[in-house]
Amino acid sequence: MRRRAMSHNIKRLPRRLQEIAKKEVEKVSQLKKEQSKSKSRKARRRHGSLLMEFNRRQRKNIWLETHIWHAKRFHMVKKWGYCLGNKPTTKSYRACYRSMTKQCLLQDLSYYCCLELNGTENNLLKALARLTSVDAGTTFASVACLSGKCQGSLVLYKADQYPEKPLGPVTFLWRPKTQPDSSSGNRQLWIWMHPALKMDLLTELQLVCQCLDVPVPEPAPNECKTITYVPEKQTEVVGLKRKQQDKAGEVVIPEKKIIGNGTRDPSTTVVWTSLTNGITIEDLTMEILRYRLIGPLSHCVIFEAIQAADVPKNSEEREETKMYCWWSEYCTQPEKMSLHNHQRDILQLLLGVASPAEISAGTVLGLTVGDPRLNMPRNRTTAIPDLSQPEDLEKLRDLCLNGIGAEYAQSQIWDRNVRNVVTETKISEQKLNQMRSKLLVPGTRLDLGSQESKIPILLVHQPGKMAGQEHTGWGSGWDILIPKGWGMAFWIPLIYRGARVGGLQEGAKHTQYKGLPHFPDDFPDCPAGIQHSVETKKELIDKYNKYPPAKRPNYIHYGTMTPFRCPWQQLVEEWEAHIQAGDLKLAVSGKEQELKFEVQNPNYKHAGVHENKASEEMSNKEKPSEPDEEMEEDSESVTILERNTGCKNGKNVITQDTPAESGHVSVLRSRKLLKQISMWCRPSSSRGQQTQRYRGPAQVPLAADAVKSIIGSYPRFLIWVRLSLLKKGSPIANATICVPSKEDLQLLVSDPNCPGPQESKHRDPFKQKCKALKNKKRALPKVPETTTAADLGITSVSGCGVNLVQGLWPDQIRNVISHCSRLAIGYVSQGDFSLTVGCGEALGFVSLLGLLHMISNQPPNHRGLALVRNPASLQYRFAKINIEV
Amino acid sequence: MSLSLSSSSLYILPVSMAENQPTAPASEGAMDMDQVEYTLRKRLPRKLPKRKNDIYVNMKTDFKAQLARCQKMLDSGCFSEICIHGLGLAINRAINIALQLQGGSFGSLQIAANTSTVELVDDLEPELDEGEPLTRTRNNSAIHIKVFHTLPQ
Repeated sequence: MRRRAMSHNIKRLPRRLQEIAKKEVEKVSQLKKEQSKSKSRKARRRHGSLLMEFNRRQRKNIWLETHIWHAKRFHMVKKWGYCLGNKPTTKSYRACYRSMTKQCLLQDLSYYCCLELNGTENNLLKALARLTSVDAGTTFASVACLSGKCQGSLVLYKADQYPEKPLGPVTFLWRPKTQPDSSSGNRQLWIWMHPALKMDLLTELQLVCQCLDVPVPEPAPNECKTITYVPEKQTEVVGLKRKQQDKAGEVVIPEKKIIGNGTRDPSTTVVWTSLTNGITIEDLTMEILRYRLIGPLSHCVIFEAIQAADVPKNSEEREETKMYCWWSEYCTQPEKMSLHNHQRDILQLLLGVASPAEISAGTVLGLTVGDPRLNMPRNRTTAIPDLSQPEDLEKLRDLCLNGIGAEYAQSQIWDRNVRNVVTETKISEQKLNQMRSKLLVPGTRLDLGSQESKIPILLVHQPGKMAGQEHTGWGSGWDILIPKGWGMAFWIPLIYRGARVGGLQEGAKHTQYKGLPHFPDDFPDCPAGIQHSVETKKELIDKYNKYPPAKRPNYIHYGTMTPFRCPWQQLVEEWEAHIQAGDLKLAVSGKEQELKFEVQNPNYKHAGVHENKASEEMSNKEKPSEPDEEMEEDSESVTILERNTGCKNGKNVITQDTPAESGHVSVLRSRKLLKQISMWCRPSSSRGQQTQRYRGPAQVPLAADAVKSIIGSYPRFLIWVRLSLLKKGSPIANATICVPSKEDLQLLVSDPNCPGPQESKHRDPFKQKCKALKNKKRALPKVPETTTAADLGITSVSGCGVNLVQGLWPDQIRNVISHCSRLAIGYVSQGDFSLTVGCGEALGFVSLLGLLHMISNQPPNHRGLALVRNPASLQYRFAKINIEV
Repeated sequence: MSLSLSSSSLYILPVSMAENQPTAPASEGAMDMDQVEYTLRKRLPRKLPKRKNDIYVNMKTDFKAQLARCQKMLDSGCFSEICIHGLGLAINRAINIALQLQGGSFGSLQIAANTSTVELVDDLEPELDEGEPLTRTRNNSAIHIKVFHTLPQ
């Protein structure tokens, strides 16, 4: 019944509807009765019941400690087993960007998982070396990271599988060597990763460390680490309320607030020990919180919010405070005290630095700080860098040049016992407020003296944009690592210093503007990335189906085969076949290229272009007629070529295997090769001399041999590129990256302001089928209800087994690269109008073979120019391909 | 390090490099830097306190826009003087802006220039595990031009 006056009176309805209405009313009244049984809102909102309700709700998905704060202000999503804030409910897209660029953006990254590895340095390095490769940059063993001075980051692979089968990106942190520990040689290593990657990595780590996958009988880990191991129960749940009221007679234990991982069964093992090499793997998920501050002001926000802990002045005071044992015990050791004093000095010194971009990347600083809740400003303020007092310019300069020493990265947060004590002895908010209310002068700072909690934390510098020439240092900031339980105690003070809070969306934008791939969206070769793309495709198709056919783009007309995902697999396979078919042509054009390098005469160059074009046309004509024969021939020639080329190690063995186990794409991460290709992609125009100088002796000129050797050894690889659009246009995800034809380049030369070529509209071969099916369905007598607009669009053909949706290609797609008038070489995985650059910018992958094919056929002054076309548009746009290393 | 010029016309004196050669210990190790082993990454120049009437000139923004910004600042009457800073390649542009301002003012504006040297830091990131991360310092020249009204009319 409608929601109107007198709608409760059934007799006012037409008689034919009265029956239905009656049923409805009954149904509603039944529901209402059930609801009324539950408690009143007031009762439900009482603290105890609320806590119970909250605890019930976080059994399934983990809540971060800032969950309630976020839930009031953010659109929450359930992802990867967590409840996370996606984006603020307020309109703040640009405001968040401004915060990142000019002020400070805060993000709760506590959902990132931490695995702790414990063992001797040699054993650890030996085990972990199987997951990494020096070819892709520095590894766990890099000198700076191994000392604990820097945080390192890398992409891990399945054991001994490099360059294929990557797992995903991680950051890692070694605990600096402590003097007494150095003799035993046991090192601690934290590996931080995205939760989508955790299970894959954990199994792989257990494999390489030879840790047993079967749960170790409980006593075994307990025995080996009697000192450090604390039963899980106590660490999981910490009483927060009614501690004071709990008299001796009261047996009923009130509901406890869940701190840490509420979804995990307390009996599940989180520690795995290897019997052969003594490595221990421990799952520290939700044990350590991680907040990320991005932006130039993050520096002063953090250093205003935290203050180094006070040192107890004399021995008497120490004796008083038996409760806060860890700090007073810590203070008795003179060398640790001096370390703390040094760390405090560095903190003071860092206040003089205006922006985190001025400090060396990845610096780590350990600290012990006082309770940040005690020196909160009364109102929300904006932290402003105070640069007026250049007291120790010389020291500051030294700090910026050499970074913070490895010994100052030491923090007690690495110690599990200390972490637990700190979590348990936290003074509750309520207690703190009670003490505040007893202050003689209201509003003054509460001085707890020695009772004040001391929290060990770790500050990790996050480098900003590193690769490329533009906007270096953009988006740099600090990560702050806190023991669990202290989340809100740090969160609010940071916000009161002027930090704006962003969610997942802002995090993704941050990585996008930095030009880095975002996990898991931009890792099409990782299991988590594949999973993610399947999920997003489903979501997008569901959304597409909700619109009537006339109100949604017909992607077949636009010539877009896969508007909701990127068919990487088909792309690389087809390029492989394409290159094999046209191998001869590439060699010819390569020779021409060399000639062009030597002869600078523009006329000659022009002629070369024409020749080139002609040869391409010819080969294009030949191709469709007899592709199969050529392929067979050329596959042989390629194998011979592989034998001839210089680089044939383990890699070639792997590549020869790949065709057999079809269905694999990999992303190129070899730094040497990336650098080389990045150099080739640059146009050799007016700044040619400059690039020449940068090249150095190791640089290989773009020649047929070099290209061939790469093609031979990396046939099915993708390469990460950044596209910046020359003129108008804002690319979106799944846009196609295409090779411009010669005419397009000439068009650009003749008219620099031209918008770019157009794709002609495609014919929809499925339209008639769809219509026929629809009519058939309509004609058939069917179930009376459920024919909404969306259902009309979807016509499932049970006979054929194909789902035909009007406007979408059926699932079996072929010929993705030459479906349109321009050859496709790749797809955009994320694109947007970039607020940093002020033009459209896209990040995506292109097929390595396609890219090499493109640049070797382009004239040197236009090298690296590509076309981008959105899925629902016929307009191609010119874009510049950048490969940044 | 900085040389102040009192006259209204503009000179740029070359800052002698011998005096300003830094004695950073890190730079010694960088001498035998192998290009294959390290990647060079430039850090941003040190941020200095900025007043409302400081204008930092860059090469990315349109020249006319930067000139108009300075003109607007002077015309607004809020500031009796503005300071135009240029570093490295932007020195030319800073001078150009200052001279254009002066030329367009029919003698009511005067300029005074200072030059200085700014120390910049380059990071050398190792490509191999054995390499220590290094930092190098290099110097770049900068100019600070004060543009001010000669006499209150």
